[in-house]
Amino acid sequence: MIYQILNKFDQKLNIETVKAHCDIPCGIYDPIIAQISALTVVRMLDLMTEFEAKTPDRNKDYMNSMARYIAVKEEHAERAKAEIRVIWGDYLKAQHLEKYPNAHALVHKIMQLGSKVRQTTDRDQATQLVEAINEFAQMFWETKGVATKRAKAPYAPALELVYPAL
Amino acid sequence: MLRVLKVAEDSLAPEYRQGDFVLVSKIPFLFIPPSPGNVIAFRQPGYGLLIKRIENISSDGGVNVIGTHPDSIDSRVFGTVRRGDIIGKVIWHIRKT
Repeated sequence: MIYQILNKFDQKLNIETVKAHCDIPCGIYDPIIAQISALTVVRMLDLMTEFEAKTPDRNKDYMNSMARYIAVKEEHAERAKAEIRVIWGDYLKAQHLEKYPNAHALVHKIMQLGSKVRQTTDRDQATQLVEAINEFAQMFWETKGVATKRAKAPYAPALELVYPAL
Repeated sequence: MLRVLKVAEDSLAPEYRQGDFVLVSKIPFLFIPPSPGNVIAFRQPGYGLLIKRIENISSDGGVNVIGTHPDSIDSRVFGTVRRGDIIGKVIWHIRKT
């Protein structure tokens, strides 16, 4: 009887649901893949610049090596974008967006920079991508109450990344 | 002080099933703090409004919660629940008929 009354009430007013969550989201989200991918883009651009300077002949070996650098740059730029999209779409919830109203604009900026570094060989754009993803990482760890630190990556290009200070 | 909520999903099955209603209140916690065995509703960052049973209270005062289903997403996944995130204790359970 009481259940039927509440059910009628629910049909009209939509009682808020409380989840006994059990749909096996793995709960594993980490922006580090996107950060390393963005760093890889910068690394590929540096390798391309070095290789171009030391290789005068534009023969097929040159083309082959350059094509490989470009392929890796493409792959990692796209991977960075995909990783950020997943965290943005699956992890960030309304309460996060209330607290970080700039989140949508930041993700959009990352998408734009991710495309730009595929289209061009502009290192400045690539370092901007690294920094934008760092900013996203900072926000992500804050939502989890995890302190962060900035440290240079222990490999080339030794740009600063935001890491969880565990 | 009192809220009616509808249960979604089955991590507390068979006791609490999808479609059940629960009456939740913070009033009981004004007299007796959250303790193991209590079923509580709370807001968990990244997961929304959840219902779980308190398994134990950690040494730093955080609340460890658990579901009965083996695939339950609970403190084993997201850690302790902060007391400030607790909406209240389930004081009445209206089962789906």
